[in-house]
Amino acid sequence: MALKSSYDVIVAGAGHNGLTAAAYLARAGLSVLVLERNDWIGGAAVSRSLHEGWTYSNCSYVCSLLRREIARDLDLPKYGLQVIPYEGGASFTRDGDYFAYYSDHDALRREMARHSPRDADAYPCYAQAIMRQCRFIRPFLLRDAPDPASMAPRDLGEMGYLVKKAWGLGKRELGETLRFWTMSIGDFLDEHFENDLIKAHLAGSGIIGTGLGVYSPGTAYVLLHHYMGDIDGGIGAWGFARGGMGAISKALGAALEDHGGTIHRGAGVAEILVRDGRVTGVALEDGREFAAPIVASNMDVKRTFLRHVDRAALPGEFVRQVERFKIRGSSAKLNIALDAMPAFPAAPPHASFLRGDMHCSESLWALERAYDDWKSGRWSAEPYVDMLIPSQIDPTMAPPGSHMMTVFVQYAPYDLAVNGTRSGENWDATQRAALAETVLNQMSIACPDIRERILHMEVRSPLDLEREVGLTEGNIFQGELTFDQLFFNRPVPGFSQYESPVKGLYLCGSSAHPGGGVMGAPGANAARAILRRAGKGATMKGYAA
Amino acid sequence: MSRFDAIVIGGGINGLVAAAVLGRRGRSVCLLERSDRLGGMAGAEGAYPRMAHLLYNLGPLVRKDIGLGARDWPFRTVALPTVALNPGGAHVRIDGTEARFVDGRPHPDAAAYRALVTRLGGYGALLRRLAEAPPPGGDAAWTDPAALKQMLRLGGFGRALRQMGKAEMRGFLKVLLSNAYDLILDELPDGPLAGALAADAVRGLAMGPRSPGTVFSLVYRHGHGGTVSLPVGGMAAVVAALAEAARAAGATIRTGTAAARLLCEGDRVIGVETGAGEVLMASRVLSSAAPLATARMAGLDRFDIEASRRMRLIRARGTVAKINLRLSALPRIDGLPDDLLGARLLLAPSAEAVETAFNPAKYRQMSDEPILEALLPGVTDPAQDAGGAVALSIIAQYAPSDLAGGWTDAARDRLLAAVVGRLAAVAPDLPGLVAGAEVLCPDRIEAETGAPGGHWHHAELGLDQLLTIRPANGLGHYAMGLAGLYLCGAATHPGGDVMGLSGRNAALAALGDGP
Amino acid sequence: MSVVTDPKTGLIDGPVHDRLAALSRARGWYGWAGYAAPSVLDTVEFEYFALRNQCALFDISPMHKYRLTGPDATAVLNRLVTRDVTRIRPGRVGYAVWCDEEGMVIDDGTLFRLGAQDWRLCCQEPMLTWLIEAAWGFDAEVRDESDTLAGLALQGPTAFAVLEAAGWDVAALRPFDHAGLGEVMISRTGFTGDLGYEIWMPWADATAVWDRLWAAGGPWGLRAIGYAALNIARIEAGFLTAGVDFQPVHATERLHRGKTPFELGLGRMVDMTKGHFNGRRALAKARPRSLLMRVDVEGFKPAQGALVYHRKRREVGHVTSGVWSPTAKRNIALAHVALPWATRTPPDLWAEIYTLEEGRWDTRMARLTPVEGAFFAPQRARATPPGRT
Repeated sequence: MALKSSYDVIVAGAGHNGLTAAAYLARAGLSVLVLERNDWIGGAAVSRSLHEGWTYSNCSYVCSLLRREIARDLDLPKYGLQVIPYEGGASFTRDGDYFAYYSDHDALRREMARHSPRDADAYPCYAQAIMRQCRFIRPFLLRDAPDPASMAPRDLGEMGYLVKKAWGLGKRELGETLRFWTMSIGDFLDEHFENDLIKAHLAGSGIIGTGLGVYSPGTAYVLLHHYMGDIDGGIGAWGFARGGMGAISKALGAALEDHGGTIHRGAGVAEILVRDGRVTGVALEDGREFAAPIVASNMDVKRTFLRHVDRAALPGEFVRQVERFKIRGSSAKLNIALDAMPAFPAAPPHASFLRGDMHCSESLWALERAYDDWKSGRWSAEPYVDMLIPSQIDPTMAPPGSHMMTVFVQYAPYDLAVNGTRSGENWDATQRAALAETVLNQMSIACPDIRERILHMEVRSPLDLEREVGLTEGNIFQGELTFDQLFFNRPVPGFSQYESPVKGLYLCGSSAHPGGGVMGAPGANAARAILRRAGKGATMKGYAA
Repeated sequence: MSRFDAIVIGGGINGLVAAAVLGRRGRSVCLLERSDRLGGMAGAEGAYPRMAHLLYNLGPLVRKDIGLGARDWPFRTVALPTVALNPGGAHVRIDGTEARFVDGRPHPDAAAYRALVTRLGGYGALLRRLAEAPPPGGDAAWTDPAALKQMLRLGGFGRALRQMGKAEMRGFLKVLLSNAYDLILDELPDGPLAGALAADAVRGLAMGPRSPGTVFSLVYRHGHGGTVSLPVGGMAAVVAALAEAARAAGATIRTGTAAARLLCEGDRVIGVETGAGEVLMASRVLSSAAPLATARMAGLDRFDIEASRRMRLIRARGTVAKINLRLSALPRIDGLPDDLLGARLLLAPSAEAVETAFNPAKYRQMSDEPILEALLPGVTDPAQDAGGAVALSIIAQYAPSDLAGGWTDAARDRLLAAVVGRLAAVAPDLPGLVAGAEVLCPDRIEAETGAPGGHWHHAELGLDQLLTIRPANGLGHYAMGLAGLYLCGAATHPGGDVMGLSGRNAALAALGDGP
Repeated sequence: MSVVTDPKTGLIDGPVHDRLAALSRARGWYGWAGYAAPSVLDTVEFEYFALRNQCALFDISPMHKYRLTGPDATAVLNRLVTRDVTRIRPGRVGYAVWCDEEGMVIDDGTLFRLGAQDWRLCCQEPMLTWLIEAAWGFDAEVRDESDTLAGLALQGPTAFAVLEAAGWDVAALRPFDHAGLGEVMISRTGFTGDLGYEIWMPWADATAVWDRLWAAGGPWGLRAIGYAALNIARIEAGFLTAGVDFQPVHATERLHRGKTPFELGLGRMVDMTKGHFNGRRALAKARPRSLLMRVDVEGFKPAQGALVYHRKRREVGHVTSGVWSPTAKRNIALAHVALPWATRTPPDLWAEIYTLEEGRWDTRMARLTPVEGAFFAPQRARATPPGRT
């Protein structure tokens, strides 16, 4: 499609949230241009062929959070999206045992009882508490976060909704909810379980992508953030997008184009243009300019305002707050092409949990120590690894008989300490290789022959993620998921409803409420905010309206 | 058999305040203290300091409610400056919001420090409104006068919040649940000044400055403007004043009398049986003992299973050891003018160092390089030096109550050596001056005062144990389920710190009329 | 890409699975606490009539069983359940319900008093954590016997005769008595409202006990049955099933789904005078919001799952269990009905029943008539010594 010189809306960045926002806006009848620096779309929801015959979900790697309202509104299955739930998972131990998580609750109960009969009995109560929190939070994901300092009817209305929902919990559950939201996942698990391995297995979701340890208050929420999604209504279930996570972006892109939107690849935004406090368009790195009264930035809040907007156009206090927004790189990633399925000696034949998420951490203390390493600028000596082999159930990921493995690594600092200096620039090839060695050692607990199976391996440091995808410090959530950066505090108090001090400039990425993960909610919510304020009669329709 | 309107169990600060408040409202009160000495963690033989050594938060509201009204406290207090010690560098003197080097040179971060501490003080004043009342929520129906009163009070809090202005209000709601480390280092470069704030944020807690929730505890510390004062005559003077207030209000105070059992009839408490088997009758019992210990005195079967579970799960891991050194002479501290020897001396070289000191505590180990608050009280109040020896009172962190292997003599010696070693970095002659040492680890503190885990606040001052859910969900309003039984110790809202508000709020709750 | 089923998932065999599998012509299995349990072995009709007319054998081993011992065992149980357990003497069995702190029913079950401070609790829901929590701080030990103790229910008019023929003399056992007889313990209890016994033994002995009963039972018409037949009988007896007639509050994600014992019509199980027990304070304050009613349903179509209306207009509840009773020749049901409509006279309550008959869906309003007591309560269930037929 030929490019025009001006649009109703320009979306800067074709991550899944940018595409979601753009698709909703195009569907409402606005002319939309999405500008993407890379030659491919999807941001961190991508499928890349970096080794002939293999497809890597080389950033995000599993799917659950994508709101079903969005998939339905935008008819994503029509554009090829298919999400397949995966089966359970396991944590392996150095002494050759494992704990397996089964979705079949009787099997799970028996497996837990193998490690601790008490914990097997305690699990339903734990799961119930988590599910109650999920049920509580889910309705808020596609709503605006009210500004408590505002007396505007909308804010009061949303605040009223919050109060009504909280009141509806009843006194006891409200207390339990306040407690859950402010607890550490470690303390929460210690209350329910006695077995270290079971606790370690369940704790992983409390730290993924986060610069906090399992005993840091607030990590129970981080766990919730990983559980509040669903697949086909199965809350907390995770799965693979067939064809890799890029399939989500591809479907979003196709939906957008079907609704008349345009995606321009290889077009990096240099500056978001502002005149008299209003956005007027964007200038590209190659000097071209496109005009639009509305720009939605899919970039994180720091990148958007500290790099791509003229400082003079922003209030000093706003800039100060953006500077203080915490985006901390804490994760790395290995993407591996395997010539065959690695052997998992501990696992019984045909173990279904090999088709799930696998880990090698044996206790909460081991996880907490991994965090201590990160605090002092080192990657964890015994990192938490989240290993999956999607090619077992997705035939598009690797040639028959071969496999693709994705390994998420927590913790790896962005500002790596080397010789007394801490800087992202320290991430050179040597450090990356050393990190890979550490991770492979840790993985060897589960699959000792992993090194022999490797045909090709991509090692992604936080710096790589920042450079390629544009996520500041390589933080997968575009900002820490701590209390001070959630809900009405996200990303900046007073600007939690996708708008900014610059008229017409919106945030539509994960820096905004409700935060990160391949969820699409910030994008959909931003589209709703844009249409409400500047829709020129066009309105948001659908389940996310 | 004696009969009272109310019995207060435990003669710590909160117990004494509760007894005084009840007495002032015309109730006959008997206070029972297990040990021979009143004051709990603030208790001491003579002026010589033992556990608590300074006042942060003792406020006029408590003074008024215990009948010391318009007068000032009957003991004199001396506001102390704080010195953030910097081994190998220039120490920083802090007076309230002002920071400068001890030699008088201006500190480059003084303006940033002033702005930050002023902000914290503003938040502290706001939080104090919450601390001086029972936490929000409760059993009363909406139409109940107490509930209406509470609504008004909450409305008052909301109004005060709004009066801050939009920007400040947003700032408050953002940082309140945040971590001290980021808050401090967003404004100040890391160093002794940042370290001093970080140390104040975590003192007595099982958290490091990077733990979310430590801004709350820092603000809590600044609830009274952040001033630190030394009571002349030591903590004993404070305890004596409170005890005198309770007696003046008509309370009977019995030391050396342990409460062994709560007597119940049906679903209410009717009295207390002492360790010696004496029966004291009262329709109300207020206990400053730990919630679980209190429940056990009545019998766990009088409480719901969920309630006893919650009491069991209250987090109270003490992390502080108190070390009282007797020195043969005043030590000399490199780079510190003599007139500042009496200051509150903080040895927390950086916020990072505080966090690093916390790391081992997570794994049931003591800090290799503990964070210290040291005080030479005799410099200001010579009475606090006893028997010709110079008293050096030290709060050392982190020394976890659940130390792997337990607090053996060897472990205590190791801690003492680490503390003296740390001090030697700024006071090289100190090790040679030590003539005697008392090391009070959390186990001893627990044994002596009954505080679970030897924890300063009887229950961790973490976000999940605050306000309505302090010390646990369902126990947030002092009442414990059994009619007539109330908690009045530091485990309840708002917490400990020689403040007395828990005791006062509990007494008012027991009287059935909100403050 | 080849995907083979993990052998660790799926249902596992109970203690008498071999015997059941051999008898299973219908091959209808369902999962009961992870075990493969028969829903039907042959046909529901034949099994049901064997149960009501001769006698039937049903494996109840998947039930959860816990042993409580120690000096405080009785105190712990009295803290747990709403009735006064000190009134259950050794050698007796008592039905009990227990509540959470809000007075909502967690589960119901039977308490076997094996000795002064020795108890066994049998129930439907897993309860280990809760019992351990209840016993925390007391001198009592909780042991999970769920997969070490097997149980067989022998129910029906000839049950006594079968036991006698098998060599177990239970003539002296009154309803809710239990006694040890050699390797087994036999209680005169059951879930059918009829004459019946439950035989308890170590897991490994269950097959031998089954065989002994089976050999003795032939002349008395003994038949193995599945849950479908048993379910008809328990509705006739007016018994509640957890997860069907009430939602066990610990197994409930959604809030406010709990019911108090009063709302389940179990007020007689609550002793407010015995001292504190879990949920007592809440129950003292609670006003019932609804009532679980036994109702006679007009017409002949089972009302399972029907919504209940007052005056055919206002929705006031739903049927939890509904079945045509072949013995009582009535269309019977249990229904939750909101107050005050549950107690209005005349009741004027209606069930909206959907029917599918040969390809056509239909709906009809059927009048509900409250029934006091069980739908079926034969005299033979109470006679001691019991009859042989």
